[in-house]
Amino acid sequence: MGNLIWHEWSRYVSLTATVYTLWAAFWGILYRKFFWDFVGGTLRAPGGLQPADNVAFFIDIIVKAPVVQILIMLHAFALLALEFPAPFLKGTGIYRSIPLRIVMLFGQAFLAVLFYQGTNGTIYSLTAAIGYTRALMLGEEMKEAKDHRGRGGKA
Amino acid sequence: MGENWFQREFLAPKRLVFNIIFYGLHFFFFGYGWHSQATNKKLSALNALTWSVWTSRGAGLVLAFDGGLILVPMLRNVIRVVRPRLTWLFPADENIWFHRQVAYSMAFWAMVHTTAHYVNFFNVERTQVRPERALDIHYTQAGAITGHFMLFIMVLMYTTAHHKVRAQCFEAFWYTHHLAFFFMIGLYAHATGCFVRDSPDPDYITSFPFYSTEHCLGYESWRFTIWPGILYFGERIWREIRARRATRLSKVLVHPSGAMELRIIKPSFKYVAGQWLFIQVPDVSGWQWHPFTITSAPEDPYVSVHIRQVGDWTHGLGERLGAGPSVVAQLTAAAMKGKEKEDSVYGTRGDFVELDPGSGARPLPAVRIDGPYGAPAEDVFNVEVAVLIGAGIGVTPFASILKHIWYRQRKGNVGSLKRVEFFWVCRDAPSFGWFQSLLQEVEAAQADPNFLRINIYLTQKISEDMLWNIAINDAGAEYDPLTLLRTRTMFGRPDWKAIYSRMREAVEAGQYLPGTNAQLKTKVGTYFCGPSVLAKAIKTACDSETSANVNFSFAKEHF
Repeated sequence: MGNLIWHEWSRYVSLTATVYTLWAAFWGILYRKFFWDFVGGTLRAPGGLQPADNVAFFIDIIVKAPVVQILIMLHAFALLALEFPAPFLKGTGIYRSIPLRIVMLFGQAFLAVLFYQGTNGTIYSLTAAIGYTRALMLGEEMKEAKDHRGRGGKA
Repeated sequence: MGENWFQREFLAPKRLVFNIIFYGLHFFFFGYGWHSQATNKKLSALNALTWSVWTSRGAGLVLAFDGGLILVPMLRNVIRVVRPRLTWLFPADENIWFHRQVAYSMAFWAMVHTTAHYVNFFNVERTQVRPERALDIHYTQAGAITGHFMLFIMVLMYTTAHHKVRAQCFEAFWYTHHLAFFFMIGLYAHATGCFVRDSPDPDYITSFPFYSTEHCLGYESWRFTIWPGILYFGERIWREIRARRATRLSKVLVHPSGAMELRIIKPSFKYVAGQWLFIQVPDVSGWQWHPFTITSAPEDPYVSVHIRQVGDWTHGLGERLGAGPSVVAQLTAAAMKGKEKEDSVYGTRGDFVELDPGSGARPLPAVRIDGPYGAPAEDVFNVEVAVLIGAGIGVTPFASILKHIWYRQRKGNVGSLKRVEFFWVCRDAPSFGWFQSLLQEVEAAQADPNFLRINIYLTQKISEDMLWNIAINDAGAEYDPLTLLRTRTMFGRPDWKAIYSRMREAVEAGQYLPGTNAQLKTKVGTYFCGPSVLAKAIKTACDSETSANVNFSFAKEHF
């Protein structure tokens, strides 16, 4: 009972979204598809959906070379390191920054919405970002964990 | 730690059996689903998608299995009824644990299923085995729409069910978990889009289930998985009806320690000692049900619960009942002073105060109770020696049990129960003042000094002043200066191994239970309620002390 600590809940959503996106990006490299190719695209049988010419740029960076997918994988690893957190980030100012997470989650959402497998990753990332925004609005702070708490013999 | 996480979670004998059956079934269903898709001649068009469609179908069948299982451990009333008959088969008290295992498995297979479908739809669009785009399947057809919704609901439900979130804000967990309703609807409707078919277009019909099973060749798993859903829904309705039956809050007592005792009269409410109930006070919140242990014995003319004001809801309730912080603070102060105040033959620590509804204040609020729900301590009377261990607030179920034992004892009807060892491990005794007064009653009523033995362990660090105080006051006094019981308080944490080995030796030597035949195996049942770290220590002690003549069993309660 009591009050929900929004940034703690958001962390779980963020971790879910990030792991989902990571997995999606991996499959996105194997099965490359620009999510928005239906806009102006034509369906041919056989051959599938032929994207319109004016989205050629996105076809280049998603289908011809999986630039977006690799980018988002790196991004997701970085976010994962921040959220989990990785040992070298623990206790640093970056680790305690909620705004940084919001920015990164929005970045992740934007990148994920570009490729076919990423849409749910976008939705979950935005959910986490909303949660963190709520945490900011409520003035929540990520406090530095108190040392020596509950660690027998080290106090 | 002698064993690592994997050994503990997966290789302990009982867990191992469970894991083999549980995961074995999962892999069997996966294999069967895969095989039945891959060998189905009618579905050869779909089989052109190869491994991804086999995987998605296999994982789909596993998910149907999980979807059918997920609600089963939540059928609280059904479990309460079947539990006494099935204790030998499965630990029904571990229902939440089982619910979680199903949920974990569901998350994993959902990942497999979704991943495979993303590949399926990609290939459908590329090869045009069906004249549609991946986008159409994903966002216009029943299967994928419900699928995406279920995934999102899972994200919300799983994240708010994390034990930290649940502890911070039970409401967030409680309300979010009711998305399960939409999740189950999604599950039952998942196949209505007729994705698995031998015709190019879905074969919809006008009568239920609105697709023809001639061409729609799914597993029809909803025919099985819907039953737990219907049962659960029925149970919720039944709980609602039962909760609406005449219930009256007859008395509110505020104990010196600040605990409120609600005495509720509900003739239709039948329970046994050690069970718990859900309580709702519409004036405080119209939706929330809060679990509390029943502290009255079945023989009492009322149902009572003891509520300490620790959270939002309990504070709200305190305010509503007129037992706000100020009242409680006064009482607590008086109670602390009561340590020096020796009033009657045996000193009580200040008396409880009955809140009088007639004194111009608002009348007592309406309450609704739902239950009772089971707890292992119901089986106390089947063992010869019952070891009741309560730690901290976990002592509450034993209030009812001790009272109940006391009533039964008066009637001379205690089953095979010969002795009761009661252990109470707590940090600071004064905060459980109400329990002390109950213990005093029970202790004073003992005719046979050997039947009930109360052992109280105080684990808090005590100051030097207090130490001297105790040392001097304790000598020669009839009552323990801290608890005002005849039983002495012990300090520090109990050494369970020593306690159990002494008990075993005493039983084996025939001193412990006079008149018992040494050939018979003595059953010693331990009933524990409290934190799991302690539970493990006690369980280890139980297991290691079990010998040919003495069988130590262990049961733990959950909240």
